[in-house]
Amino acid sequence: MQRLDILKEVNDIFIDVLDDESIVLSEQTTAADVDGWDSLTHIQLIVAIEKKFKLRFTSKDIQSWKDVKEMIDCIVTK
Amino acid sequence: MLHFYKEDNYNLEFCVTHEVHSQFMNIFKDCNPLHSNIAFAREKGFKSEVMHGNILNGFVSYFIGECLPIKNVIIHSQEIVYKNAVYLDDLLSFDAVVTETFDSVNAVEFKFNFKNAESKVVAKGKIQIGILT
Repeated sequence: MQRLDILKEVNDIFIDVLDDESIVLSEQTTAADVDGWDSLTHIQLIVAIEKKFKLRFTSKDIQSWKDVKEMIDCIVTK
Repeated sequence: MLHFYKEDNYNLEFCVTHEVHSQFMNIFKDCNPLHSNIAFAREKGFKSEVMHGNILNGFVSYFIGECLPIKNVIIHSQEIVYKNAVYLDDLLSFDAVVTETFDSVNAVEFKFNFKNAESKVVAKGKIQIGILT
C-alpha cells in the first residue's frame, strides 16, 4: 500500500472516530492540529488503525510519534 | 497483555428478578407498558412483560467492574444487539471471550452473549475496556 493510500485510510479512521467529516490530515499534522484528538480518542484511533491494517504497535512506537508522518512510517514498517 | 489473553473466556449467570426489574423502573422511570403491563405486552405478541434491554447492560457493567482478574479497568465502548425478549425471572447465562488485545494502548476487546434457559441468544455484543495504569 502506498503512503498516500495509508494516509487516506488513516484520515477515514480519524473522521469516523472523531465524528468530524472536515478532518483533512497531512503528514505534518500533529495532535494539536486536530480538535478532539485527546488521550481518550487517541486510544480509539490506535485501536481502529491496528484493526484496519491488521498490525500491532508497541507503546514505545506510539510514544515516539510527533506527527502523522511518523505514524505512517511506523505503519509502513510493520 | 498481562491478565488478558486472546480467547480467555468468562461465564456467569444472571437472573432478572422482580427486585432488579422494579428497581430499574424506580430509578430510571421507564415504565413503558411493554415492561409493566402484561395485557399490553401480550397484545404485542409477547408472552409477558418484556424486561428492559438495558438491564442486561447493567449485568455487563457488573462483569467488567467485578468479575475480571483486575479492578483497574474502564469501559471505552460497548455495543449490544437484542435478539429475543427477556422475561421476569429468566435465568440468563452470560459468556464473554477476549477477542483482541491492544498492548500499545492497554485495551482489551470482548465479545459476549446472553442466552436464556432454552439456549436462545437473547442479546450479544462487544465491549472494549481500558486497563488503567
